[in-house]
Amino acid sequence: MGYYDRIVYSLRNVTNIKGKLKRDPTTNESVSSALAAELTIISTLLIASLLLRHINIVLTIVVILGLGLILVTNMPIIPKLKREQSDSLEKMTFYAILTLGILITLIYWGTTNV
Amino acid sequence: MNEFIPLMVIIPIACALLLNLFHKKDKTVILMGIIVAIVLPIIPLIANYGLHYFGGHAPLITNSTLLSTLPSTIQNSALALFHPAVTYSYGALQKIFIFILGIIAFFAIFNSLSQNKKVSGPLMFLMFMGTAAVTAILLSDDIFHMYIFFEISALTQTGIILTSKTENNYETALKYMILGSIGGPLLLLGIGFVLGAVGSVNITDIVYAISHNLVDPLSPTLLFAFGLIFFGWLYTSGLPPFHTIKSGVYSKALPNASVLLQAFTVIIFIAIGIAIFRIFSYLPFFKTLIVVFSLIAMVLGVTMAIMQTDFRRMIAFLAVGELGYIGLGFGLATKLSITAGLFQAVNELVITALLFIGFGTILYLTKISDTRKLGGMIQHNSIVAIMVLIGGFAMAGVPPLNGFQSKLMIIQASLQSGFPEISIIAILVSIVTFMVFMKAYHSIYLKPKPNDLVGADKLVPRSSIAAIAILLIICIVLGLFPHLVTDNISQFAMGLI
Amino acid sequence: MTDILLILGDTQLMSLFTAAAFIVVGLFAAIFLDNIIKKIIGIAFIEEGANLFIVALGYKAGGVVPIFLPGMSADWFAANSAYPLPQALVLTSIVIGASTLAVMLAISMVLYKKYGTLSASEILGDKKTQTLAEKNAGDNNE
Repeated sequence: MGYYDRIVYSLRNVTNIKGKLKRDPTTNESVSSALAAELTIISTLLIASLLLRHINIVLTIVVILGLGLILVTNMPIIPKLKREQSDSLEKMTFYAILTLGILITLIYWGTTNV
Repeated sequence: MNEFIPLMVIIPIACALLLNLFHKKDKTVILMGIIVAIVLPIIPLIANYGLHYFGGHAPLITNSTLLSTLPSTIQNSALALFHPAVTYSYGALQKIFIFILGIIAFFAIFNSLSQNKKVSGPLMFLMFMGTAAVTAILLSDDIFHMYIFFEISALTQTGIILTSKTENNYETALKYMILGSIGGPLLLLGIGFVLGAVGSVNITDIVYAISHNLVDPLSPTLLFAFGLIFFGWLYTSGLPPFHTIKSGVYSKALPNASVLLQAFTVIIFIAIGIAIFRIFSYLPFFKTLIVVFSLIAMVLGVTMAIMQTDFRRMIAFLAVGELGYIGLGFGLATKLSITAGLFQAVNELVITALLFIGFGTILYLTKISDTRKLGGMIQHNSIVAIMVLIGGFAMAGVPPLNGFQSKLMIIQASLQSGFPEISIIAILVSIVTFMVFMKAYHSIYLKPKPNDLVGADKLVPRSSIAAIAILLIICIVLGLFPHLVTDNISQFAMGLI
Repeated sequence: MTDILLILGDTQLMSLFTAAAFIVVGLFAAIFLDNIIKKIIGIAFIEEGANLFIVALGYKAGGVVPIFLPGMSADWFAANSAYPLPQALVLTSIVIGASTLAVMLAISMVLYKKYGTLSASEILGDKKTQTLAEKNAGDNNE
């Protein structure tokens, strides 16, 4: 199955699950936007992980290979991402608290132990 | 005249309170609203740079007669240098931002007055109160004072959504408040930790205490405080993970009010960002954190924007994504990058205001914000359509407009600091921004008109056209002569590092 | 045993512990409870915890009220008075907290009238919930 078809398929799946197929048809436009978003997120993630070279070269290679593999195997990322970025209060609180936890852990333990 | 400094905050607050008294008398509300809205951008132009101590309580060191009567423990300690009162500092940076905020507030207020048949006293009250609060945040040199005025501005933002009568505005408002009530008190807690460590909430004092080793810079208290204040900053400025709620807030307000909401966010972002930068930039991972969150904001902002079908939500997500560029300026922490970031903030204020007002005319004409149900609006008023198009070019960074200048500066700054990856991502995001804008523009203005699209028998309000035209002129002038703003900002950036 | 008594007798330390408990309980309620009113009560807990924390910072065991009266020596006053700044700050932040709370409760009243329920997962989720008016219309049709 081609990449384009897979995105069409996954979009249709998502809209089906939401029971929105009638109101939210998969148009040419929405697929091409999804494609653009998908490429943006993959390329930026890979380029951003190049920044790790300032810490360690080997780590960078491992991270990029791993990340590339994960991204390619989970290919249509955008529908999943969009589901996570929804307006539901539960999800927003979850990510807020997750960020707070990561921040405090990194800042507190990161500095005292480095 | 330094007396003008507190007046920048007092005049809009007083106006807001008086408007509430005249609630029902429409003519008084209109007259007063317009007069004060005209005065707002003028005050920063005539005020002199300087400091203002509330209650006249200058630091003890400036008053030697009083200092000599005090115990020697105070005379010889840092207490003599500390600021006992809330201090407002007014400089070149504040001048630019308060001036631009004044212009945007004027357009937001003027357009709301001229486009709503029934004058809404509460909306005017909220707009003036929010403007006053944001001005105070920008002027204040006191981190607790910033927190208080931030909470006031958050309340006014909620109020502005509540007055809009759009669908599900109450739900969004409550979500924003619940999330805000987790973020806000944690910010307060962080300020409490700083207060516990240093004993003062004045930023200059805190910086003095940390740089002179009066407190241990790497003590767990300060680290914890940094974590909490940074989290609070993410919330106040709508960086991830708060970007979804922030974009929801923009899209639930009426477009003329969204103009003001995004201006509030940008100014709070830079004001608290500068405060954090001054206090905590000595921490080793400080810059990394800001860069990481800015990159996430940029990428999530544009990728989510492109997936939306509501044009208000698209611009809202784009506005959140553009914040990332400002953050990059802080994160790279060179003189050029901070100048670029703050210049980008000025540009974003103007451009996003232009786009909200411009696309707001569509909502005014058709009452539809779903791009799939719109089309062919260019034949209705092609001049507005072309002006909006140029505004979108400015946001995406097409030369010779202002967005191009600031983004180019950011890219140069990141290349100079040895991070070519960041400049590549900045360019990529800018391209996708362009695509998002073109998608919205095409489906609203260029696509064939759907048969069931009715309405559009009204004319585009003159006040909107005037606002778009003037904001566009600002965009072009800043694009051709960026040094009008960057000269002042780079002086400030020099002092910051 | 004496250690515990010492800790329990330390007003400032106990206040800080109470503040921490407030914040933890409040965060738990705000995140995990579904009822909007309970969430709001949790939020009030977080706010009060932060306020209590700040006001406890200014506490001084055996200190005096920070008002300089005639006849006091400046040295003695400087050594013995409590720190007044946190009290002034907390006073302001209590007012802000109260107004935030009032607005949130008012909004939840409106939402209750609209939906007939206070469940956050139904009202504030991303799925569309039937409003009370829609439910009534549906009943009439049947």
